[in-house]
Amino acid sequence: MAEEVHLGLPGPWAADYREKADHYTTKIGGVPDWPTGDMGIKPEMLQCSLCGTKLCLVAQVYAPVVKLNIEERIIYVLVCPTPECGPKPQSWKVLRVQKCRNVEQTEGDGDELGQGTGPPSTSVPEEQIDKNKSHDINDDDFDLDALAEALEQAATLASNSKKKNKSKCANAPIERPVLKEKPADLSIPVLPCFYIYYDKEQYRVKVAVGSSSNEFPLDKEMTDTGNYEEEKWDGEKYEYDKAIGADRTFLKFKKRLDAYPEQCFRYSYGGKPLLAATKVQDAGTCRFCGSPRQYELQLMSPLLYFLHEAGKGSSNYGPSNWTWLTLIVYTCSKSCCPSSCGGRPCGCCWGVAEEEITIQEDEAV
Amino acid sequence: MADRGGERGGERGGERGGFGRGFGRGGRGDRGGRRGGRRGGRQQEEEKWVPVTKLGRLVREGKIHKIEEIYLHSLPVKEHQIIELLVPGLKDEVMKITPVQKQTRAGQRTRFKAFVVVGDCDGHVGLGVKCAKEVATAIRGAIILAKLSVVPVRRGYWGNKIGQPHTVPCKVTGKCGSVTVRMVPAPRGSGIVAARVPKKVLQFAGIEDVFTSSRGSTKTLGNFVKATFDCLMKTYGFLTPEFWDETRYVKTPFQEFTDLLAKPTKGLVIEATVETVEA
Repeated sequence: MAEEVHLGLPGPWAADYREKADHYTTKIGGVPDWPTGDMGIKPEMLQCSLCGTKLCLVAQVYAPVVKLNIEERIIYVLVCPTPECGPKPQSWKVLRVQKCRNVEQTEGDGDELGQGTGPPSTSVPEEQIDKNKSHDINDDDFDLDALAEALEQAATLASNSKKKNKSKCANAPIERPVLKEKPADLSIPVLPCFYIYYDKEQYRVKVAVGSSSNEFPLDKEMTDTGNYEEEKWDGEKYEYDKAIGADRTFLKFKKRLDAYPEQCFRYSYGGKPLLAATKVQDAGTCRFCGSPRQYELQLMSPLLYFLHEAGKGSSNYGPSNWTWLTLIVYTCSKSCCPSSCGGRPCGCCWGVAEEEITIQEDEAV
Repeated sequence: MADRGGERGGERGGERGGFGRGFGRGGRGDRGGRRGGRRGGRQQEEEKWVPVTKLGRLVREGKIHKIEEIYLHSLPVKEHQIIELLVPGLKDEVMKITPVQKQTRAGQRTRFKAFVVVGDCDGHVGLGVKCAKEVATAIRGAIILAKLSVVPVRRGYWGNKIGQPHTVPCKVTGKCGSVTVRMVPAPRGSGIVAARVPKKVLQFAGIEDVFTSSRGSTKTLGNFVKATFDCLMKTYGFLTPEFWDETRYVKTPFQEFTDLLAKPTKGLVIEATVETVEA
């Protein structure tokens, strides 16, 4: 609770699901934007381990780590699009793409982006009660996009389509046909694409005992009405929340979700994940450096709902069969450089590391 | 960052004060009545509901029309909005708010425990208990927990099967702590013969006539009301000759609304036709 948690909230839909953005953009669905043309990623890293189909992108999160001075770092969450593989945990893959730390001058203007302990969060006045505001403010996306454009000298095609003002409402998701016959791209299915803007989670501040005592006299009046004085509700003690279908962990999970009902993912580098069930798998250790993995971000159920709504009507659609409650991503705690340049200041190589992802399922299904 | 926390605490205090005052007013004036005054605000929240579970998504899309389809397959309901959508006539009432105290080094820490019963007076009832530092939070939380625990109540006849069922189908007993509550079918016109507190729960359940008998330390009204609720839950658990027929299995909503033959169905499924005979 002490660490800040950044929430990824849904922004505008992409005009075209296969449009390209740059690797500083955080988005859901669409085509992965690799930082350089050829990443040298081994083809089997981009294939489903169960059926061999090419994986499609679920989320691309630009995640610099300011504490370790890494600005060029992106996390890609990929999944097998076939409906049979979707529910199985082995068909999900997380890749962390990072530039060598030894780079000094080439990406100097990357410093402008890292302004906090997490991804760049635009300074929107946060009144979390009135969530309608966040839909209407599309300036957030403009700021993020403007920053990204300023950094990247080569303007990408996406800059034109991002400026289209399509605000996303949770009530009436805009149905978009998934264009599968784009000539430039491959014929793999692509998930519906929308962009993300950030907000810090303001969890309600715990009240001091003083204010609750103000309510106590009112309460006394309410409970001590004349006829019922012989009824004493004796012997009551503190009781934990209990419901027939949901346990305490899930009730807490749902409570935090209800505070921001549209959160698509939660980001907290090194923080604690919000669990939906008490059973947690061990994250293991990093494959490259052996240091333990730590929690970085988790995808939440509203993301699944939005993808599901956008894909309604299309058959053989992967997300229709997903039933997870949350997907937790663990990354290397040292954020080691996964490329094989041996620490020489080369300033060019990008490394790709596979990280761990665990699924917390909705066990009723 | 610190001053932002402060002003948030300030506005929270204001909001809470208003809420608390509102509840106080309602409580004093409306002791025995139904408390459903916040309906208007709720409509908007339901539209903004983003479902978390698969069952929630199915309900939101309108693929599930009655809550009986969920009870048929014993699916766990994890979101209270599901109940709000499927059981529209649900009314709630706060039965009691009692302070519970804990001894700490710095004195006593008081929290409030709220007991809320919800029901539509026609076969569905739920009971929620929540402890919180403020009264308003406890009430709100208890209403949500009560909705999550809505169960069907089976009603039957005492003698002639004329008209609608009005009493429990058989003698049932429920227990919580040391309190046991026994409900016995009663003839039409007897009314609910019970103490004031369980009578409220039985009224919300839609039972018109019943004789009750209780045992144990009924002074602990928390246990008393939970024992009554447990008793009501058991009405559908009692095997009577109407259920002796072989069950005919029906697909669960998850199987029915999926495109491909995914996972095998879990557990048994009993057809719902018997309900229509009774009710």
